[in-house]
Amino acid sequence: MDMPVAAHPVPARSTDGVIDCDVHPLLPNGIRSLYPYMTEAWRERFIRKRAHTTESGLTLRYAQPNGTVVRDDAKPEASMPGGSDPHFLVKDLLDANGISVAVLNSLQSARFCSVHASVDESIVIASASNDYYIENWLTVDERLTYAPVVPSQDPAAAAAEIRRIGAHRQVVAVAVPPLAILMGNRYWWPIFEAAQEMDLPLLLHVSGSEGVYNGAPMPAGGMPDTYIERYVTLGQGAESNLNSLVMSGTFERFPRLRILFVEYGFVWPVPLMLRMDRLWRGLRHEVPWVKKSPTDYVAEHVWFTTQPIEEPRDPRDLERLVRMVGVDNLCFSTDYPHWDNDMPMQAFRLLPQEDRDRIMRINARNVLRLPR
Amino acid sequence: METGVQARQKPRHAVGTPADFPAGKMVMVRAGEQEIGVVRLRDGELRAMRNWCPHKGAPICRGLIGGTWPPSEPGKLDYDGTQEVLVCPWHGFEYDLKSGREMYETGTTRLRLYPVTVEDGQVYVTV
Repeated sequence: MDMPVAAHPVPARSTDGVIDCDVHPLLPNGIRSLYPYMTEAWRERFIRKRAHTTESGLTLRYAQPNGTVVRDDAKPEASMPGGSDPHFLVKDLLDANGISVAVLNSLQSARFCSVHASVDESIVIASASNDYYIENWLTVDERLTYAPVVPSQDPAAAAAEIRRIGAHRQVVAVAVPPLAILMGNRYWWPIFEAAQEMDLPLLLHVSGSEGVYNGAPMPAGGMPDTYIERYVTLGQGAESNLNSLVMSGTFERFPRLRILFVEYGFVWPVPLMLRMDRLWRGLRHEVPWVKKSPTDYVAEHVWFTTQPIEEPRDPRDLERLVRMVGVDNLCFSTDYPHWDNDMPMQAFRLLPQEDRDRIMRINARNVLRLPR
Repeated sequence: METGVQARQKPRHAVGTPADFPAGKMVMVRAGEQEIGVVRLRDGELRAMRNWCPHKGAPICRGLIGGTWPPSEPGKLDYDGTQEVLVCPWHGFEYDLKSGREMYETGTTRLRLYPVTVEDGQVYVTV
């Protein structure tokens, strides 16, 4: 379906625009789009088991109440899902909003890696998906960068995948679908080692498959009845994982590890950081490898994307919250083409320009190691 | 005796003889209206402090005195029994009895120490 790359001249990368840390591309034909990127043996297996019939969003526990997470106005054509055409996305998102770098993160592929029971299938799907996006998206426009998905169910295979494609110029992060194993657990060490070796941050994003798919974590307290409840409390998993990363000494063990929490919002870290610091003062001796206050580790190793931006009744309260999280640790994201997106022209208008610059581009440039 | 605390022109209170203060044991004494904790460190120095945690006002002299686990590599546990640390009974903040400072915290709180002197077989606390 792609036109030759020559038909779409690649613009030079500009660092003056906005950097968007969360964009969701979609495979135009679902898992069938990946078949050319598999060996015959695996392709025939997926065809024989009619894998495309089990990939629907309806297999998620929470169907979006409006039928889809994708904006109706973001469809390239009436018959095509939003996010499935890189050329349309470049025009509709990047050109229209002055975005100079977008980080592609395929939640769909993360879901495919979880929906199949076999870990070997997850490994094959992840590699095929990464090859698909590298070949069909990264060649379209220099401004498109990519966070390859890795099969969390096998950390050694995930580490091998990071090393296989991590040196690609437009691979800027690694998307790690969460499991019901906290990130401070040694289970994850092979992935941390590979990410550190390739100098890539880990991008943690909710998979949408909580309590349903292969190893996906349960929401805290029990399963909510509705999508809105589940969406309001998305940050629970992020809280548990950030706490675990800090208290386990992971950042002492992996001193160059960078973590980017994506689409959890950015207010939830505030009470968490206050509690971590306060309790560390009294219980530090239990975790003596936490050599400085937890907030210091967060400031050095952790970033948060801004979407979905919380909207306090008094908009001025937002600035205080930004300061409490740390203006150096926030990275703008749209979540395009999803309905709950934030767009650059509306975001953080009340902040001083210097802070807005940090959030809209400078911090992301640092964490993603983008050229200046 | 050097106590690390600047003596001010305040009344001195006799609170006992040196033998009343065995090493590593917090002894409560009255100094005028104040209840003061006095403890002898391993090197023989005496420390006198207000029975009040600077964090939340706990009766800190009821806390335990012991060593501590200094910062170590992940998964490795060290113990330093030579450190003399007072642990607040409420929130567990650790204070270095030598300096009065909170351990491992770049922040703010420290014990309120009072000058202690020994003269003619008497221990005096200046409050």
